[in-house]
Amino acid sequence: KDLIASYGFHPLACKVNIQCTEPTLTDNASDWARLSLELKRTLPVDKPLGISLSVLQTLPEILRQAHWDLSITLTDLESGYTVLRVEPANTRPAYGIAIDIGTTTVVVYLVDLTTGKIVDKQGSYNKQAQYGDDVISRIVYAVDAPENLKEIQNAVVGTLNVLIDDILKRQALQPQDIAAAMVAGNTTMSQLFLGIDPRYIRLEPYIPTMNAIPAAQAREIGLRLHPEALVHTFPSVASYVGGDIVSGTLATDLTNSEEIILFIDIGTNGEIVLGNHDWLVSCACSAGPCFEGGGILFGMRAMPGAIERVDIDTESLEVKLKVIGKIPPIGICGSGLVDCIAKLRKAGIIDRAGNFQTEHPSQSPRIRITADNKEFVLAWAHQAGGDKDVVITENDVKNLIRAKGAIYAGIRSLMQAVAIEIDMIDRIVIGGGFGNYLNIHDSVEIGLLPDLPQEKFEFIGNSSVKGARLTLLSQRAWNEALELARKMTYIELSVGTTFMDEFVSALFLPHTDLSLFPSVEGKV
Amino acid sequence: MAVALIKERYQNKVGEVIIGATAAEGGTRTSVIKVGGDAALPFLHFEGKIENRTVIAMEVTDIPPAWNDIIKSQFGDVLNDPAAWAKRCVEECHADMIYLKLIGASPEGENRSPEECAKVVKDVLAAVGVPLIIVGCEDPEKDNELMAAIAEATAGENLLIGIAEQDNYKSIAAAAMVHKHNVIARSPLDINICKQLNILISEMGLPLNRIVIDPMIGGLGYGIEYAYSIMERARLGALANDKMLSMPMICTVGYEANRAKEANAAEEEFPGWGDLNDRAILWETLTATALLQVGASILLMRNPAAVRLVQQNINDLMENA
Amino acid sequence: MALTGLEIYKQLPKKNCGECGTPTCLAFAMALASGKGALDACPYVTDEARENLDSASAPPIKSIKFGNGSVLGDETVLFRHDKTFYHPTTLLVEISDALSDDDIQAKLDEINGLEFDRVGLHYSIDGVAILETSGDPDRFAKVVAQIAAGTDRSLLLLSENVEALKAALPSVAARKPLIGSATEANYESVVNLAKEHSVPVIIKAEGIEALNTLVESAQKLGYKEFVLDPGTRNPSQTLANLTHLRRLAIKKKYRPFGYPVIAFTSKAEPLAEIAEASVYVSKYASAVVLKASAKAHVLPLMALRQNLYTDPQKPIQVEPILHSVGEVNENSPVYVTTNFSLTYYSVEGEVEASKIPSYILPIDTDGTSVLTAYAAGKYEPEKIADALEKSGVAEKVNHRNLIIPGYVAVISGKLQEVSGWKVIVGPRDSSGIITFTRAM
Ligand code: B12
Ligand code: SF4
Repeated sequence: KDLIASYGFHPLACKVNIQCTEPTLTDNASDWARLSLELKRTLPVDKPLGISLSVLQTLPEILRQAHWDLSITLTDLESGYTVLRVEPANTRPAYGIAIDIGTTTVVVYLVDLTTGKIVDKQGSYNKQAQYGDDVISRIVYAVDAPENLKEIQNAVVGTLNVLIDDILKRQALQPQDIAAAMVAGNTTMSQLFLGIDPRYIRLEPYIPTMNAIPAAQAREIGLRLHPEALVHTFPSVASYVGGDIVSGTLATDLTNSEEIILFIDIGTNGEIVLGNHDWLVSCACSAGPCFEGGGILFGMRAMPGAIERVDIDTESLEVKLKVIGKIPPIGICGSGLVDCIAKLRKAGIIDRAGNFQTEHPSQSPRIRITADNKEFVLAWAHQAGGDKDVVITENDVKNLIRAKGAIYAGIRSLMQAVAIEIDMIDRIVIGGGFGNYLNIHDSVEIGLLPDLPQEKFEFIGNSSVKGARLTLLSQRAWNEALELARKMTYIELSVGTTFMDEFVSALFLPHTDLSLFPSVEGKV
Repeated sequence: MAVALIKERYQNKVGEVIIGATAAEGGTRTSVIKVGGDAALPFLHFEGKIENRTVIAMEVTDIPPAWNDIIKSQFGDVLNDPAAWAKRCVEECHADMIYLKLIGASPEGENRSPEECAKVVKDVLAAVGVPLIIVGCEDPEKDNELMAAIAEATAGENLLIGIAEQDNYKSIAAAAMVHKHNVIARSPLDINICKQLNILISEMGLPLNRIVIDPMIGGLGYGIEYAYSIMERARLGALANDKMLSMPMICTVGYEANRAKEANAAEEEFPGWGDLNDRAILWETLTATALLQVGASILLMRNPAAVRLVQQNINDLMENA
Repeated sequence: MALTGLEIYKQLPKKNCGECGTPTCLAFAMALASGKGALDACPYVTDEARENLDSASAPPIKSIKFGNGSVLGDETVLFRHDKTFYHPTTLLVEISDALSDDDIQAKLDEINGLEFDRVGLHYSIDGVAILETSGDPDRFAKVVAQIAAGTDRSLLLLSENVEALKAALPSVAARKPLIGSATEANYESVVNLAKEHSVPVIIKAEGIEALNTLVESAQKLGYKEFVLDPGTRNPSQTLANLTHLRRLAIKKKYRPFGYPVIAFTSKAEPLAEIAEASVYVSKYASAVVLKASAKAHVLPLMALRQNLYTDPQKPIQVEPILHSVGEVNENSPVYVTTNFSLTYYSVEGEVEASKIPSYILPIDTDGTSVLTAYAAGKYEPEKIADALEKSGVAEKVNHRNLIIPGYVAVISGKLQEVSGWKVIVGPRDSSGIITFTRAM
């Protein structure tokens, strides 16, 4: 479904070409009156039209240099138009950028505001990582000393500027060409991006500073775009359900759906949204980063050298691996881990609680007891891309079980909050960088995802940046996002015992309640 | 107009476990005990059959225990002689079973060998005709060795042995499997961990009707409410056909109740609490009677006076059966 | 059946304006569904919705108040794990008017003394049930007056003789006693008497059927301050009756049984009586009348009542006090962890397996795991240092080494500074504890 079309193509900034008549002694209206008259005639909607002092300051010269044949870039909001830039007539489009600020990675899309096309994209690690891998350590750092907040804000703005510069260079564009920006990030990322003290996000009762965020000018934040380009930030719902989830939910089209949709964003936190056009609930189940490789001894992101599929012979315990890029393995990524757990279990190397069975009948040397752990060798050093054996440890397995348990428990908790049963869910949309590669079958087998028919699952990739692009291109979609954030009901999992109960029952492969996994139960 | 009473229809019953074997069945017991099998919530006879009454197993230790005098004085000398002690429990207190704890095996204490312990077990078996529940000394490594030996020494008796816990269930489950005994599966106050353990044990090949759940209760005044709710949920789960929760439950009433300050502090020390003797009896009694209401099948008790009261309570509640 | 959050939501205005104090209409609906909050908090509900929701949210069991703050009923669930039991069973001790004045005074003194302190909680007996067995209304009136003068606890006046109740009630009506019992034979006059003095009244009949008929007749008198007594006095039957009444009230919202229930013990021997009473406290009696009044007998029952009426919606936590594993001595290592049961027990298990007698101090983190607690600022060095000091472990060991979970290595410097203890960072996972202790 083309969401831009269904919301109506109406970018938050636009560019028009106009030809003004030259002033004469008798036709002696001011430059701005002349310009605005012509603009009013050209622009599709009749609404207030404004201009800033800085543009006015350069106006007389440009008009005349251009011989009154002009291209005008405007911010286009419901409240009115604002002239951002006046230049000699040209055919270059206006551009906008859609930004997803993740805790780990940052992604920027350059979007053509006349066609809606994605012209270029680029991503990189968030430079804030030097202050800690997760939001908690960043918050701790940000509030530790007065100058830290600015420093950590600069880190992310710096990351973005590098990405933007790269793209601009590639596309031979100037910062002035970018007329609007839309930013989606979790609550902590949004507050740090805007330089707002994040300390109370962390402390009980976990309160963010604001939900709806006023648009800022690029220069206030230091983004290298047109200095007056408006930078919009997605509203958050709660401290741990942020703008990225609002954006992602919008991208799933949940709010226009009669069907009940379950949207799972598997990032470092694991946010879940359940609902349809009438109601929606959300929660953050804090799964942790292990699906992105975090906290796993040989964990890594899905890139060349990462093991993505594992086969283990149930008798000899010999291993066959599929490695991204078909090179010797250096680590294992999220989908590889999920597959690996399923296979370890099948081969009887771990029991359903994730405990290693050191007395496996095969007596394979691949099962080893180390000083403080137990491990299974996936690839011997001589076959691997590094100089060490690539292993998965019992702690890794337990960590993964906790993460998958947290996600499944989050899903169940939301279902309980609205008293619906699993088969009432019509569609499951999986987002997050890792979401692209996840194997549904394995995921159900280890109890990460509910046991529903394959055709109900669908991947959306980076839903957050998708939603950001959508709202950049549609005023109505942006309004919907604001409304969506207001009506999304946040379920606090730390209240009551529902989540904990569900969590502990999910700390098992696939689950303590086998009847929830009929397709798996039959097999084991 | 007649009132339409609500009688729940359950899909399943609590699983039944048989403990003990008579000579005909290859053992030496004069009676066997059946627990579980109930088709209703505790004592709701109008709803379904309460198949087997709750039984009381009295606690006996291989070396004299460090219990309070209120209990010890009721036994006197026999505390030094497990066989005589067990006999007294059965004959005078009408204990349905004997719960023998081999604390003398503890490496930190007397560190008795499995053979020495097996001898005590044999003596107790010879002294009484009721089935035994036997557990080790709560040292996981020692217990693995000890209970394997005991299981072997008592092969054929179909006893209830313990304790299988999540991080140490294999050897005891294996011993029970090989020598045909039943196992106590213990998990700390969590219904899910309890289920997990039952699944793990049953996946080793031990049939479900050989497992008894120990939910690790808290004593009266010290967290009994957690056990109360977990046991109630387990019973409801069993009736709703959750196979992995449908085992009968065993409760360490005597141990937990007598740990409480209220069961030990003299009146002089706490005048506001009244006479210690009755207080201690009731502390153990109510720990038991409360858990009876949520489905306890085997009560492990110490104080003979409390045992009498609980027996009476069970009799009262089994009326109209 | 009670409405679910979504069902209530469908009737709300869906403005998501937050004026009711919750951010969204659905959050408000969920709060209503779980019995928290009142519909009035939303200024925008339509009259139609109000009507629909009011009837759905009426409590299944009426709340009956009497005496000195005693509240009966208003329960909403059958099992405490479903939500919580709200109004602890009211415990009353009986005194017969056939006793001598001195004996009455002695018994009353004993009852007045039923005040207990344990584990930081205070328990006190709720009231006195005055039993008319003398057959003499004047005697009853006199005894009621005597007892009323001698205690300010709640009162229950119990006689099936209307004349006795009429004689005794007026002088104590201001104390709002519970009176009883209205039976098939006397219900009109007893209920009318209760109505006249605005006091709640026990409706008593033998068995469920008879009780149903009697309640329906009694309701026709235009009064509804009832407490039910299903007669039968044997434990097994009483348990069955209490269960039937509670189930019909909760699961079917069966109105004639939408009242609290009172139970009477049958055993004469006090210990056996307390054991019997424990059944009724566990299963559904809103009030129990006892004969026993010795401290040692009443305290255990009150402890049980307090336990069962705690809020079950809290995660299981271990007590945040110093725990010891094995035969601890002055060299025993000291570990800190959290009071989340899952965390505590994984650590305890490993420490036990290390075979080194040790102390473990779980910090009160509201029952959350190490990292969740740290994330939420509940595992700060200051707090740990404080708990360490309060635990008194410093007097028990002759070293000052503290082992902390590996996941919170970041706090070690600060903790060392504020506590004065040498902080040793342990392994991340508790399974590393054994190796760790060997290396130490
Ligand atoms: C379940 C869970 C929750 C539950 C809470 C459950 C609870 N009662 O604690 C809920 C959903 C409520 C929750 C909330 C939050 N969580 Co959380 N949560 C988890 C999760 C999935 C598992 C935690 C767990 O139960 N571990 C099991 C216990 C047993 O582990 P443990 O306490 O650490 O104990 C082990 C060791 O520490 C060690 N140990 C313990 N004590 C000691 C002592 C000594 C001496 C030694 C040597 C060892 C030792 O032994 C134990 C066994 O190995 C983890 C991620 C994961 N995959 O582990 C995140 C995680 C802990 N949460 C995290 C966060 C940030 C949060 C939130 C603050 C934000 C959020 N939503 O993400 C919120 C706060 C409240 C809110 N708004 O909801 C982060 C913490 C990051 C950090 N750097 O601190 C984690 C790591 C996930 C992540 N990376 O994002 N969470
Ligand atoms: S006040 Fe009424 S309309 Fe507003 S959020 Fe609350 S329930 Fe909804």
